[in-house]
This record gives sequence, structure tokens and C-alpha cells, in this order.
Amino acid sequence: MNKRRSLAGVVADHTILAVLAILFLAPFAFIALTSVMSAAQAGTTFSWPTSWHVENYAAVFEKLDLVRYFGNSLMYSILATVFMLASSIPAAYALARIKFRGANLLFLLIVAMMLLPPQVTTVPLYVMWSKLHLTGSLWPLILPNLLGDAFSIFLLRQFMLTIPKDYTESAELDGCGPWSTMVRVIVPMAKPGIAAAAIFLFFHAWNDYYGALLYTSENERAWPISYALAQFRTSRAVDWNLTMAATILAMVPVVLIFFSAQKVFVQGVTLTGVKG
Amino acid sequence: MQFTTQRLKKSVAMAAAVGCVLGFGLTGCSTGGPSGPTIQAQAPSTVSGDIEFWHFFTDREAEVLQNAVDSFEKKYPDVHVTVKSGQDDEKMRQAIAAGQPIDVGLSYSTDQVGPLCSSGAFVDLQPFIDRDKVDMTQIAEVAQSYTAYEGKRCSLPALADTYALYYNTDMFAAAGITTPPKTLDELTDDAVKLTTFNADGSIKTLGFMPLLGYYENSEPHWAVMAQAGWLNKDGTSAVGSDAAWQKLYAWQKNLIDKLGGYKLVSDFQAGLGQEFSEQNDFQTGRVAMNIDGEFRTAFIADQAPDVKYATAPLPLAADKSKAYGAGYITGNVLGIGKGSTNPEAAWALVKYLGLDTDAQVLMGNGLKNVPTVKSALTSPDLEVSDEYKVFLEVYQNPNSQTAPASIIGSQYQTILGQFSQKWQSGDASDVASGLAEVDQQINDAVALGSMG
Amino acid sequence: MRPTTRRRGLVALAFLGPALLGMAVFFVYPLAMTVYYSFTTFNILSSPKWNDFANWKYLVGQDPLIVTAAVNTLWLIVILVPIKILGALLVAWALTRARHASGVLRTIFYLPALIPPVASTIAFVFVLNPSTGPVNQMLSLIGLRPGWFTDPAWSKPSLVGLSLWVLGDIMVIFLAALLDVPTEQLEAAELDGAGGIARFWHIIVPAIRPVLLFALVTGIINAMQMFTEPAVASGTAMGKATVGAGSSTTLGWPSNSTLTYGQLLYQRAFGSNLMGYASAMAVVMFVVTGLVMIFLLRRFSGFTAEVAR
Repeated sequence: MNKRRSLAGVVADHTILAVLAILFLAPFAFIALTSVMSAAQAGTTFSWPTSWHVENYAAVFEKLDLVRYFGNSLMYSILATVFMLASSIPAAYALARIKFRGANLLFLLIVAMMLLPPQVTTVPLYVMWSKLHLTGSLWPLILPNLLGDAFSIFLLRQFMLTIPKDYTESAELDGCGPWSTMVRVIVPMAKPGIAAAAIFLFFHAWNDYYGALLYTSENERAWPISYALAQFRTSRAVDWNLTMAATILAMVPVVLIFFSAQKVFVQGVTLTGVKG
Repeated sequence: MQFTTQRLKKSVAMAAAVGCVLGFGLTGCSTGGPSGPTIQAQAPSTVSGDIEFWHFFTDREAEVLQNAVDSFEKKYPDVHVTVKSGQDDEKMRQAIAAGQPIDVGLSYSTDQVGPLCSSGAFVDLQPFIDRDKVDMTQIAEVAQSYTAYEGKRCSLPALADTYALYYNTDMFAAAGITTPPKTLDELTDDAVKLTTFNADGSIKTLGFMPLLGYYENSEPHWAVMAQAGWLNKDGTSAVGSDAAWQKLYAWQKNLIDKLGGYKLVSDFQAGLGQEFSEQNDFQTGRVAMNIDGEFRTAFIADQAPDVKYATAPLPLAADKSKAYGAGYITGNVLGIGKGSTNPEAAWALVKYLGLDTDAQVLMGNGLKNVPTVKSALTSPDLEVSDEYKVFLEVYQNPNSQTAPASIIGSQYQTILGQFSQKWQSGDASDVASGLAEVDQQINDAVALGSMG
Repeated sequence: MRPTTRRRGLVALAFLGPALLGMAVFFVYPLAMTVYYSFTTFNILSSPKWNDFANWKYLVGQDPLIVTAAVNTLWLIVILVPIKILGALLVAWALTRARHASGVLRTIFYLPALIPPVASTIAFVFVLNPSTGPVNQMLSLIGLRPGWFTDPAWSKPSLVGLSLWVLGDIMVIFLAALLDVPTEQLEAAELDGAGGIARFWHIIVPAIRPVLLFALVTGIINAMQMFTEPAVASGTAMGKATVGAGSSTTLGWPSNSTLTYGQLLYQRAFGSNLMGYASAMAVVMFVVTGLVMIFLLRRFSGFTAEVAR
């Protein structure tokens, strides 16, 4: 980096930022333009679209059962998130506020679980789910959330620790049991943390490829959008224009959610880092 | 009705699963099914019920399969077939292993026969064959051989894929070549003559792609050209001991050099069109000669009808020229899944797709694959163009080869493929020691696969 | 009445019940089974058969791909992770100097990290298509034509490029940390005549050290288990139909140059049906991850302080 001078420095800073912004946005522009090209043009050297084919987007819906895939993704993401919250908030609360023997060990275990690469447990879990005849569906990815999610517990606990003890103590003095203390005091105060955990899990589920590959690959009816998109481009003939249209469609929901909850989102992301 | 039963089954399974997860996870909680479908002592007079049929075809080809299934349902009106298309071998095997009730599976490649038979994923068909006194001689011998593993017949051939040489006759004429290459030396000469360059020195059109890994340039397809062998009788590797491989690799190196070197051809390869799209290099004229399967004739007719081309058996090494007429043969195989709930109806479908003349002709015409039943090969209803005829001849040629079934599936080919990559890019220079290492790796993998 | 220790234990148990069960079913049980399977021949269809150390023997000296996969993974850890962190730090630092539109810029830099990895990978592979992609079109003007994802020598660097495009997730964390750095310190340093680089290394980096370490830990974890991006990149870039053979056959393409350890494990389990062998690989992965984490967390003082509460 150069030494910076007042006006020249400011101009230089903004030039760098502008160039960076263009670099980051350019791929989006390329795929957006490709998504409205004719099939013939999309397969050749990149250039400005010679004719515009917005109907490509309709064609994608015809070729792919997108409504179903989006539906599956939504089901996966929403159920997983709800289940996670139901099981993880109490666990996080206990770890953050109840003193009991083995709490530290338990927390370490949760950290270890959080850091565990999913491939390590893939084989036994696949065997387990296949014995339950649930492979070929998203349930092996959704149901575990009923029993807590390590990362979410970790995140929620870290957030709850920042809530001053005075609040919980005064609630206890008022005769609240641990459950009502959690529901009445901690949960309302931990809303940003809960929102962050929920959003993380939602996105994790929405973006999941490995899990979907493992458990749904043979059943097209269960595919979430992420996996379906990856399959679309490996089928025999790749129409780049349609692939790009599908790629953009797959981005839309997460981008929409992001813009409608941007503040919570960025807060949540920073929370993981700063608190972590 | 059926939908609701399925729903119900699903909810029961769900409930069981939740129960398991909540309570019995640690103890395993197996709901393990029966060890496999059972066969009735007498052939039933009628078959009925629902069966699930998994195959790997997609798009146009899936429609052909659907037509065959429709005609099966016409013949057996009490059987309803649920077709699941686009299921590659890996998914199918995984699903069978996971206990899903797949009645009939159509596997993409003979490579899977070893694993499917030895693991029991496909059940033994011999009891059905004996009971119904099926005349196996109506199936061509090579197809009989590649559908059984170590004497266990767990599959029937559905259709065969044969591989031979495609060449662009316009480009041949322009280069003053009149006949297709019959030997590897001729292939080299023609490839050089047909290759043209851009002003910047890069390749514009290529006579023949000398790199393995490109489209259908694979070790098994090339092995035929040197009549090279893969496995010994005991399942161990013969790659290192068969001198034909070394000659083949030496020929390849020479061809790469004559075409301008690895960098030039690999740069050209990087710009390839998708194999099964209209942009296929042979169809666009980027490449003048390609090894490809008989199905390419259907793709050319569909996607690039203006391309002038002809087909010929594969060129051979000089010392193997007596075998001319040969090509590579592989095929789709049919079997009954371990979890089949209606084995009799499944067997009826297997028999229909694998042995019925009309069904074989229907699929042969639709997929432009080679029928495996002799009666279909000679049927007047089989549409035979000049380009396609070569493949029927290759199929019946005794010197045509297939890749042998192995307990490790196609892994032995993958292992050799890793050597090919190093060799052709120049990272490996000693063929003999490289292939000896390949032998070791294949033998180790076979040893591990044969455990238990 | 203050609850007694015993009573508190019971209450905690009640709150933690589902999570404890989850830990047993999805952590302890599969780990134990993985160790057991690693000594067996197992293909799901038939029950596991004890084979002594056959899997381990194959793993240690015979598997022709395991060294390749391990080296590729190590490459990602040693090269991709630091470059991504550095990139994210620089972008975040540039953002702190923005006087205008910093919110919009932050969103722009974050956007690629937000979209599903499958989508961002496909998009990136398309942009880097060696013959038709816009990047090579520009590079060819100065005579360069890298093969990117199609060239074994370029495929891993291409993954680095992709990771730089999606650096937004850690960039946001860095940004928040950078904004917390006291401006007085920086101004004092500037008055002392410290240049940009000096200020960056001597004031900013120490101030955000915990966040840097956090990024390093998560980055390494993610690199160790990397699967999706190289898998989708291989499948998209190879331009060859896999038709019926199955998805694991495309993993690592070209020439196994992007084959990661996690991918090889998946391939051995579900492509080659060697569940026992894959389990042995999983045990190694677990042990290595554990050791790396212990090593890193020991140096991560903030982290352990939190653990000890």
C-alpha cells in the first residue's frame, strides 16, 4: 500500500474500491448476460447478447422441476431451523447460565463436534439412516436438528454470556424457575443471537450440497435446489444459457432474504468472529 | 390410493426414525429387511403388481426406454412399472445397498457386473433361467461373458455399445485421403495430414486427439488397437506383463510429438465442446477422426445432419493387423435388485427387455445401440445405415474386446488412467516401471476388494 | 430458596437432554462405529467382516490416490487459506477508508459469499472457461491463455481465485474488528510519521489478532473438509458427460489435481463401495483434525478463556 495523502489519498482509496467492486460484480454481469443469450451464442466466445431471450427463464422452469426443488429447499431449511431452535436454545441456556458439574467438558465436546468434518461420521450415519429406510429423502439432514446443532449451541451460548447476570438473578429472586427465566428474560434479550443462529442454519441448509448428494441423489423428488443445480449442468448436453438462468434463480431467494434482514445478518456474522 | 399408502409408509418410517434417534440410536435399531427376494418353484401363469425400474438414460434416450416399458405393460397389463430415469450406477448401487426396493436396474456399464454380482446387489438369475428354460445361446457370446462374474449370472445384457472409428469424409477428401486408417502408423500419418494450425501457432483442426481422457479416448477403447490384455485369470493385473501396452504408449507419445507436442494438443483440448451437445468436436469439424460409440450416429443425425462422415473398425498395431475388423464392446446390463418386492414381475421385465426380439429392435432403433439378442441383430425391422452397419460387424467380430469384469469394478482402468495422465504430459518417462507400478496398485486394490 | 447443586444438575440435564442425546447419536456412536468399521470389510449389503489391518495396510502404503489427496488438501490449507485471509483483510481495510457508499460496497463484496457455493462455483468456472470465457478473452490480448479449471497446473490456483471472490464472509468479520481499532492510536502513529504498511502491521494486526486467529481456525477446518467447490468445479469444467458412471468419477478432475481428502473418502465409500476402508480414512481425518485443533486452540487464548468462563 502506498503512503496516503489527504485528497490524493482519498481519490486513490476510492479508485481501488471501485476497481474491487467491479471485479466482484463482473461475474454476476457475465452470467446474467449469458442467461439471456441464445443457446448457440452462449456456447461460443463471450460477447454482448446478439438477441435477448428472457424466455430462457421460463424454459428453465419447464426443463427443471424448480418449484419442487425450491419447495424442498424451503422445507429443509425451515424445518431444520425450527428444530434447531427448539433444541439448542435450552441447551445453550443451560451451558451459559446453570452451574453444574461437567459443564466445561460438555462445552468442549460441543466445540469438538462443531469442528468435526462431516466426512468423518458419514459412513456410520449413512448406514444408520439406510436401516431406517430414510435415505432418498431429506429427513437424515433435518431430523438431527431436533437433537441440537453444535454450532448453534456454541453461538447462542456465547451470546447469552454477554447478557448481564443481574437480569437473570433478579428474575430468579422474583421466583422464576429456570425455564421461565429462560423464556421471559434470556430469549427476549438474546433475540439478535437467536436471529443470527437461525439465519446461519437456514443458509447452511439452503446451500448444503454434500448432505444432499449423500442422501437425496437417487431421488429426484427430494432434491433441494443446490443439488439440482449441480445436476443440471452434468446432464448430457449443457445449455450454458439455461444453466446460467438456473444459477441466477438459485441465488434469488438467499439474496432477497439477505436484503430484508441485512442488519441482523451482518450483526450475526460479526458476532461469530468477535465473540468466537 | 397408492399415494396415500406410500405417504403412510413414509410417516411410519418417520415415526420409527424419530423413535430410533431419540431412544435406540446407540443400540443400532436395525429394521433390516429379508436377505433377498425369493423365487417361486413354478413359473407363475400371470404376473401382476407394481415394480420399480431404475435406469440411467435421460432426455431423448429415456423416452425410448419409456416406449419399451409401455409395450411391456401392454403385454403384461397387470403390471405397473414405475420408471426412474437418470440413475447412474453409483446412485443405484447405493440405493440398493440402503435397502430401497428397486426391482429392476439397468446398469450403464459392464464394469459394474463384478461389484454388483459379488456383493449380491443384483440377485442370481440362474434359478429363474433354469426354471423357465431360457435358451442362453440366443445371446451373443461376448455379451454372455460380460454379464456374469466368476460364473455367477446376476445380469442379462440389455443392449451393447460398440466403439469404432468415425471419420469426416469431407476433411479426408480435402487432405487427399481416400481410405480410413487400418494401422496405427496410418492413423498417425492421417492425423498429421488432417491437422491445421492458426496463425498464432495453435491448432485449428485436429486429425485425431492423441490424449487419453478426451471424450471416448479411454484406455479400454484404445486397448483394442494393440489387442492389449487387462487381467489374468486370477483377477490380477496383466498390464505390466503384456508388451502390447508399452507399444501403445510409445505410439501415443510419437503421435503427440508429431502433432506439435503436449502443450499444443492439451490447449486444443481445453477448448473442447461438450461431448453430448451440438458442440461435440467431431460434429463441429474441429476434429477429423474420433473413436466413438454407435450411438453417435443418432446424435449426428439429430444434432449435425450435415456432417459427411463414415465409420470403420479401429486401426490396429502393425503386428496385430490380422485382427482388423475389431472394436470395443461394452453394454448395459439388466438385473433384479436385492430389495425387489415383486421378483416375478421384475424377472418378466428383465426377460422382456433382454430377450424379446421386438423390444430389442425397438430399443436398438431408438437408441442406436446394438441389440444383444441374435434374432434382433438379423431382424429386418432393425434400421441399419451404412455408418451403423460397421458397428454390427464389429460386435460380431471375434477379436473385439471388452474390459473384463473385476471385483473392483472399473478401478483397474482408473489406476491405469492415472499413469496415462502422467505419461502423456511428460511427467513419467519410463513405461516399463510405470506399468509395473500400475500392476502393483491394481493387485493391492484387488486384494483389498476380495477381503471378507 | 436457591437450588442446590444436585438440583441444578438435574435442571441442566433437562435442558440439555436432547443435545446430549444428539451428541451420543451423531457424535459418539458414529465415531465408535467408524473405528470398528475401519477394521472390517463392509459394503452395507452384508454385515461387516473383520479383516484385521487390511484397510490400514492399504491406507498406509498402497492406496495410489491417498497421497495425492492429502497433498492437495494440504496445499489448500497452506496456500488457499492464508491468501483468502489476506485478501479479506485487505478488502476490509480498503473498506474502512471509504468515505462514500461504504454500505453499498460492503454489500457488493459480501454478495458472492452469500449465494450457494454450487451457484458461485458454476458461475466462476463459466467466467474462467479457457476458450469461451470473458477472462481469457481479455488475457489473450496479451498472449496469455491459462487453462484454469481444465489444466492440472492451474486448477488449484483457480480454486484460490474462487475463494477470493467469496471472501465476503470473513471480510465482514474483519471489517467489524477494524472499525473497533481505536482511531487515536492510528492518528498518533500517523503523526509519528508511520507509513501505511507500518501502521497496518504494528497497530492494526495486533489489535485484531483474535479475529485473525478465528479466521485461521475456521479457514483450516473448512479447507480440511473441502468438498463442494472442487467437486462442482470438476464436473462443470470437464465438459464430458459422466452419463451412467456416477458423480464420484468426476471428483478431482483434471488428473486428480483437485481431489481432496474428503472427496477421496466419499469416493472410496460410495464409488468403490469400500465402507471399511473409508472408515479408516475417516479415523485418520478425525485424529488429524483433532491434533490441528488442539494445537491452534492452545494458541487461541481468547477462545480458551471463554471456554473456562
